[in-house]
Amino acid sequence: MAKARLIGDRTSKVMVQAMERRATDVRGRVFQITLLTTLLISLFILGVLIVDVVVDSWGVLTGRPGGFLAGTMRSLSDDPKLGVHQALVGTFWIAVFVAVLAFPIGIGAAIWLEEYALKNRFTRFIELNIRNLAGVPSIVYGLLGLFLFVKSLGDLTGGKSIAAAGITLAILVLPIVIITAQEAIRAVPQGLKEGAYGVGATKWTMIRSQVLPYAAPGIFTGTLLSMSRGIGEAAPLLLVGAVTGRLGSNPSFFDLSAINAEAFMAMPVIIVEWVQNSGRDPGFAEAAAAAIVVLLVFVILMNAAAIFLRNHFEKKRG
Amino acid sequence: MRLPRLLVLIIGLMTTFALVAAACGNDDDDGGAAPDSAGQTDSGGDSVGSSSSDSGSGGDSGGSISGSVTISGSSTVEPISVRVAELFEEVEPDVQVTVDGPGTGDGFKLFCEGETDISDASRPIKDSEAADCAESGIEFVELRVGIDGIAVMTGEGNPVGCVSFNDIYGLVGPESTGFGSWSDAGSLGLTTSNLPDAELDIYGPGEESGTFDSFIEIVLEDIADERGQDATTRPDYNANADDNVIIQGIQSSDTSFGWVGFAFAAHASGVKLLDVDGGDGCVGANADTIASGEYPVSRSLYIYVNKAKAAANPALVAYVDYYMSDDGLGTAVSDVGYVNLTDDAKGATRANWAGR
Repeated sequence: MAKARLIGDRTSKVMVQAMERRATDVRGRVFQITLLTTLLISLFILGVLIVDVVVDSWGVLTGRPGGFLAGTMRSLSDDPKLGVHQALVGTFWIAVFVAVLAFPIGIGAAIWLEEYALKNRFTRFIELNIRNLAGVPSIVYGLLGLFLFVKSLGDLTGGKSIAAAGITLAILVLPIVIITAQEAIRAVPQGLKEGAYGVGATKWTMIRSQVLPYAAPGIFTGTLLSMSRGIGEAAPLLLVGAVTGRLGSNPSFFDLSAINAEAFMAMPVIIVEWVQNSGRDPGFAEAAAAAIVVLLVFVILMNAAAIFLRNHFEKKRG
Repeated sequence: MRLPRLLVLIIGLMTTFALVAAACGNDDDDGGAAPDSAGQTDSGGDSVGSSSSDSGSGGDSGGSISGSVTISGSSTVEPISVRVAELFEEVEPDVQVTVDGPGTGDGFKLFCEGETDISDASRPIKDSEAADCAESGIEFVELRVGIDGIAVMTGEGNPVGCVSFNDIYGLVGPESTGFGSWSDAGSLGLTTSNLPDAELDIYGPGEESGTFDSFIEIVLEDIADERGQDATTRPDYNANADDNVIIQGIQSSDTSFGWVGFAFAAHASGVKLLDVDGGDGCVGANADTIASGEYPVSRSLYIYVNKAKAAANPALVAYVDYYMSDDGLGTAVSDVGYVNLTDDAKGATRANWAGR
């Protein structure tokens, strides 16, 4: 009884103090402004980067946007046929490989780990390893791709091909897909699951009708962000054998025979190559900036797709 | 069953993007079908004769040959081979030339495994590499195609204007490890110029580079042999594979020292090209002194052609024939910033190719 009164006294004291103090909450404001500053710093850096590449590439992007998208790798930067078509085709199909391979396998593994796996030492060991794999430098995956998919399975993938690069990058993003999907599945409220069991659902029905729809927005955000990371990787592609000088063929987006052809190009590699060429031929700096903008737009379109899908599923969930 | 439908949606969205990009204009040289990679390594010529499916583009200017040519090797020579391929494409649009540039050493490795038709090289083949080729039964013909000078540079504000081979040995040779000042170069007992007591920051290409090998061979090797040292550089300098980074490093200090290929140095601002004394007085680096051989730090650029593949692949022969023409050895080489061979040297190269 005495104790309760004491707490009551203190509370009222705090209340009185709070009411007597000046209306502005200085510490609160400072905290708020600090947070705003951190946000502005990151936005500022992003803004500077984007403005810089757009300004550098302005001549190419406004001068001949169609020609640049349709053009090929050339030795001189003022060549009207210079462009990113071959690299864009490569990156597009690599993205398809990542989507088709990494997403189902990654999401499947996440469901198993969250819903089926026994919570024992073995499962924890596997989860620990997946987390470590997510931190392995991408160049190591490039080495794996070189020895496994280019050399050993060369008959299947066509050697230094889009297929070999796509499988390598799919494996590169797989741990990230698993981890983000696991997080999303873990966030499904226990009540939903128990409710499903309560009306007699089997485990499979429960996962299909409750867990997946609820977790879908989170899964999609994670998977497409990991895809954005994957298609921006240059180092593994250089090891797998992206061509740096000239690609003889210029297949269209729908030419399926190009997927396991023995030479390919990708956007991040063409950017590295052109930045290096800019020492010999300064005009390549502009072409590199334009290629960066094209890759940026590609990634933004993919992220827009992710946001669209997430909103779609959030509506359903609500 | 929602997930599969979702995947279809994603792929659909990306396909839409592809359509948009493709619709933005496919120009004329888009038609080439993918190379028949399966048989390419053994006989690039097996598609010859099967007249191409898309002769609609540029068929009027000849285009009687089809096939593919695979080139790898030096990143220094890469632009020449690419430029030749671009000019060649105007004549023979159905020949697909693929050029890669992992480096001279890596290129020879692939070449001697029979993976490539031509190997670009910024130095002559080493005995060990030639032995590898011989072991796998690969005969080749060496063709000298152009010259690249190596520019020796410092910062704009440096009073030094000319360095001798002895000076360079004293600054970056194997015995200079730890030297922090230009004047330390004199402490080795070699005859050197009067170098200032100024801070020495060194930037240059790393060991994987053909420019690194050539620089050692031309400038350092003889002096190192005489003094009983390994022919290499000091290990403690800023090595980088990217020539732009090397040039930025040299720009960053008035008393820096560094070297890159002349094609890169010619466009650089904020650096000073040093004259080099190779025993016959100070000579500045420019296209004339490099072509004539007066400028002492220059190297020849080569292509190596696999003889057996040339015999089996008319497309490869046509490409090298074109390489040997004035469009190749003349126009293409100077287009990408290198120095043409003298007419006599061009003749010697052509004779080599003709006599293979």
